[in-house]
Amino acid sequence: MPPRPLDLLQGTLDLLILRTLALGPMHGWAISQRIQQMSDDVLRVNQGSLYPALHRLETAGWLSAEWRATEQNRQAKFYQLTRAGQKQLRAETESWERMTEAVGKVLGGSEGF
Amino acid sequence: MLRELVAWWRRRHVDREFDAEVRFHLEQETAKLVRSGLGQDEARRRAVRNFGPMDKHNADVREARGISWVDELVQDIRYGVRTLGKNPGYALLAVLTLGLGIGANTAIFSVINGVLLKPLPYEHGDRLVVVRQSAPLTGQNTVGVAIAEYFDYREQAEVFDGLVEYHQMNFDLLNRGEPDRVSTGVVSANFFDLLGIKPVLGRTFVASDDVPGAEAVLVLSHTYWRTKFGGDPDIVGQVFEMNDRPHRVIGVLPNVPHYPQENDVYMPVLACPFRAAAERTIPRNRRAFAGLSVFGRVKEGHTHEEAAAAIATINRRFTADHAGVYRTATSGFQATAVDVRSALTEGARELLLILMGITSLVLLIACANVANLTLARMLGRDRELALRSALGAGRGRLVRQLLTESTLLAAAGGAVGVAFAVATVGMLTTFVGRFTARTGEVSIDPAVLGFTMLVSIVTGLLFGTLPALGARVNLTTALKQGGNQAGDGAGRRRMQSALIVAQVAVSVVLLVGAGLLLASFYRLQQVDAGYRSDGVLSAEIYGNFSRYGNISALRRLYLPVLERLEGQPGVVSAAITNAVPLAGAAPGTIRFDIENRVTDDPDRRPATDIRIASDRYFETIGIPLLSGRRFGPLDTDESLRVAVINRAMSRYWDGHDPIGTRVTFNRGEDWFTVVGVVGDVRQFGLAQETVAQVYLPLTQSPQTFAGQVLVRTAGSPDGFAATLRQTVHAVDPNQPVERVQTLDDLRAEALAAPRLTATLLSIFAGLALLVTLAGLGGVIATSVTQRTREFGVRMALGATRPAVMAMVLRQGLVLVGVGLALGVLGAAVAGRVLSAYLYQTTPRDPLIIAGVVVAFLAAATLACLAPARRATTVDPLIALRTE
Repeated sequence: MPPRPLDLLQGTLDLLILRTLALGPMHGWAISQRIQQMSDDVLRVNQGSLYPALHRLETAGWLSAEWRATEQNRQAKFYQLTRAGQKQLRAETESWERMTEAVGKVLGGSEGF
Repeated sequence: MLRELVAWWRRRHVDREFDAEVRFHLEQETAKLVRSGLGQDEARRRAVRNFGPMDKHNADVREARGISWVDELVQDIRYGVRTLGKNPGYALLAVLTLGLGIGANTAIFSVINGVLLKPLPYEHGDRLVVVRQSAPLTGQNTVGVAIAEYFDYREQAEVFDGLVEYHQMNFDLLNRGEPDRVSTGVVSANFFDLLGIKPVLGRTFVASDDVPGAEAVLVLSHTYWRTKFGGDPDIVGQVFEMNDRPHRVIGVLPNVPHYPQENDVYMPVLACPFRAAAERTIPRNRRAFAGLSVFGRVKEGHTHEEAAAAIATINRRFTADHAGVYRTATSGFQATAVDVRSALTEGARELLLILMGITSLVLLIACANVANLTLARMLGRDRELALRSALGAGRGRLVRQLLTESTLLAAAGGAVGVAFAVATVGMLTTFVGRFTARTGEVSIDPAVLGFTMLVSIVTGLLFGTLPALGARVNLTTALKQGGNQAGDGAGRRRMQSALIVAQVAVSVVLLVGAGLLLASFYRLQQVDAGYRSDGVLSAEIYGNFSRYGNISALRRLYLPVLERLEGQPGVVSAAITNAVPLAGAAPGTIRFDIENRVTDDPDRRPATDIRIASDRYFETIGIPLLSGRRFGPLDTDESLRVAVINRAMSRYWDGHDPIGTRVTFNRGEDWFTVVGVVGDVRQFGLAQETVAQVYLPLTQSPQTFAGQVLVRTAGSPDGFAATLRQTVHAVDPNQPVERVQTLDDLRAEALAAPRLTATLLSIFAGLALLVTLAGLGGVIATSVTQRTREFGVRMALGATRPAVMAMVLRQGLVLVGVGLALGVLGAAVAGRVLSAYLYQTTPRDPLIIAGVVVAFLAAATLACLAPARRATTVDPLIALRTE
């Protein structure tokens, strides 16, 4: 039996989306595939909950979006990191690292995390 | 917020976009699963499952887009409308109460806006000033400007673009043979240019219209053009006979308010024969024709203070040069310049502000009452609120829901209020028109509607916040307890009590105010004006100077008219005088000397008001003869000059008998022998103390004057107007007969303003009283319902019915008592603003205050009686069993 996928912390999803889009513009479905892939299927995004997050980030101005054709010539909404989004990504990555470091210290000697 | 509203408008777009995104996502996911070997249907099902709850995601997207609070608002409004609809009695009462309050405020504000706030409808209206001369040491607030003084101001004032003069005359304009008496503004040629008034037709005056020998020209007022010539577009160029000269119409004014008076036509100054004659006498008489109004436009970049200072300086200069004329040491003669807008509205400003204060008090009472109604209703809504709270509505959401309901009520109240204002603003405008000429611009315009909206919102928040603050719901107690038992209602009850106390206090202030005005009005109405107004018809026949150029010519009109009138059936007596009592004139102040008592100091000489009276004047108008005799047929042009004085004037004889002594009005050139003393007449206003007056016989009157015919008829004088006209036209078919009014009407007219003020305040106070009593009764009734069980227990333990009743009454009357005490204190302070409108009534009249207190207590007892009786009908068994 595979390990039960971890629930995604609120806020972590934002960071993952921003990180994913740092690779280049993509549409919602591609983002969900990418996140699943990157986390080796450990992190499991309830696919639909991606969209509120995308719209929230767009409203916040960190993403821009436009409708254009995919390679199969289908219309899809492509999201892209804005300049503000790039800054946000850097800030959030930094604070994430600080937190994991702190959590690691609390958990002490245990190497595994 | 704007972005969110835009997003809300575009919510369908957002939904559609989300749908498209989802469709694309599902297609891709399905395709992927198909590629991994699943069947199409199974793949589709799995894709949908992986996606998760669609509705929740959609809602989350909406929230992410910031649409949700608008959605909630819409939801709140729908819910609010539904809740209010379920309780139509409450909703209707609240909307009507608020509607009256908001409506009254809207109506008053529309008048304040039109009269006090709007800029003058003239170009550069804010730079227009009027020269105001006064002689405070002799009690004269305004002294007209004489021609010579105007010349000084005009030539020496430097901070003005220009100064112009104005005076009013009545002339006969012959319109196709019909004589029409027109009020005529006689103005400088640049008058309209200075005010910035552009004609709608033709042109206004230019300098060449105002030179000797120029063609006589007229400018018509908009109203006169519309009413007398039906707005004839070809009026310019038409010629009318006036003052025996042809006058050509050169233009028509736009529909703007006239200041200082409304006029039918305007002419340049040189065309006025009276002013021209007076100007020639200036070398002998510096103050010749002292009836001008002088206006100026302050130069750009200069202040009104500079303008006032400039006028004051010029005034000081010429009063010093002519010290013998002005005697500033004893007259205090001085001058200043006053902003035209404030001069135009100063008579109405205070009254309007008082009315605004009163209507805001009424609105406050309405707010308190609706707040109370809402609180009472909340007692029954505890369970509903608790239930909603249990189902997940946050406290903020509940408060917002309650505020939405109150705002809905206030908005509906605002709509009712606008309807109310539209219905009453006409009446109000007429009323205010008695105090200012500037009512033509009163209308319910966008500014007024904006005000109403603001007031409605504030009102909604005001009466919505209080109950909402009490919306702290204790879930467990509220849900556990039975339907008719409220949870922790103590805070709410305290709030209700406080509201009732406040309502009572404010109502008492309004009632005392209304009581004072009514008492004052009653006293004014009871004033003995010194003459009998019943059964007398008055009319003006002013013989045109071109046909009746001097007094002996005028007598050839007046005396035959009198003779014919007295021959008419139904006429008891008829008279001609120069001023009808209470017709709006101001007293003259002619200095006089008593023979052998001539004082050398000209400023210490007594002053009197000269009236002209024909033989039967005193009988006709019912002024009693106190001693001596009246005028008779033997007093003629040739006989001894005689005079009749009133009692007020006889005081100058220091207790000696004036009869047989002589007086002079021109320092001994002409002497008049006093032959009688008559009673005092309140000629200039019912509230005004009588002044010294002297009557001279028509046959000996030294000057021309506008004849006022008085006819005492045996029956009602109303039907006599036609006969009066025929009689005058039998003597002179071209003589206009004007201002036909009964003396009773004139007296009623003089009382109209105080009557309306008292009526308005009484209506508002009555409304406040009704609303307050309804609120009181409601609060007591709710409290009785809540205490049913307590009453049951008390009665089971032996309390008598009267004792229970007394308990309930005491509860109500304690609140009323506190409110009354506060209200009486408030009335003592607020009454002072009314003192200018009170006649022989002090603002702290103890009788009125006591009367209001007693009446209020009685009414409040009645209001509490019904719920108190209900408390005594509680059956102890049933009351105990309900628990």
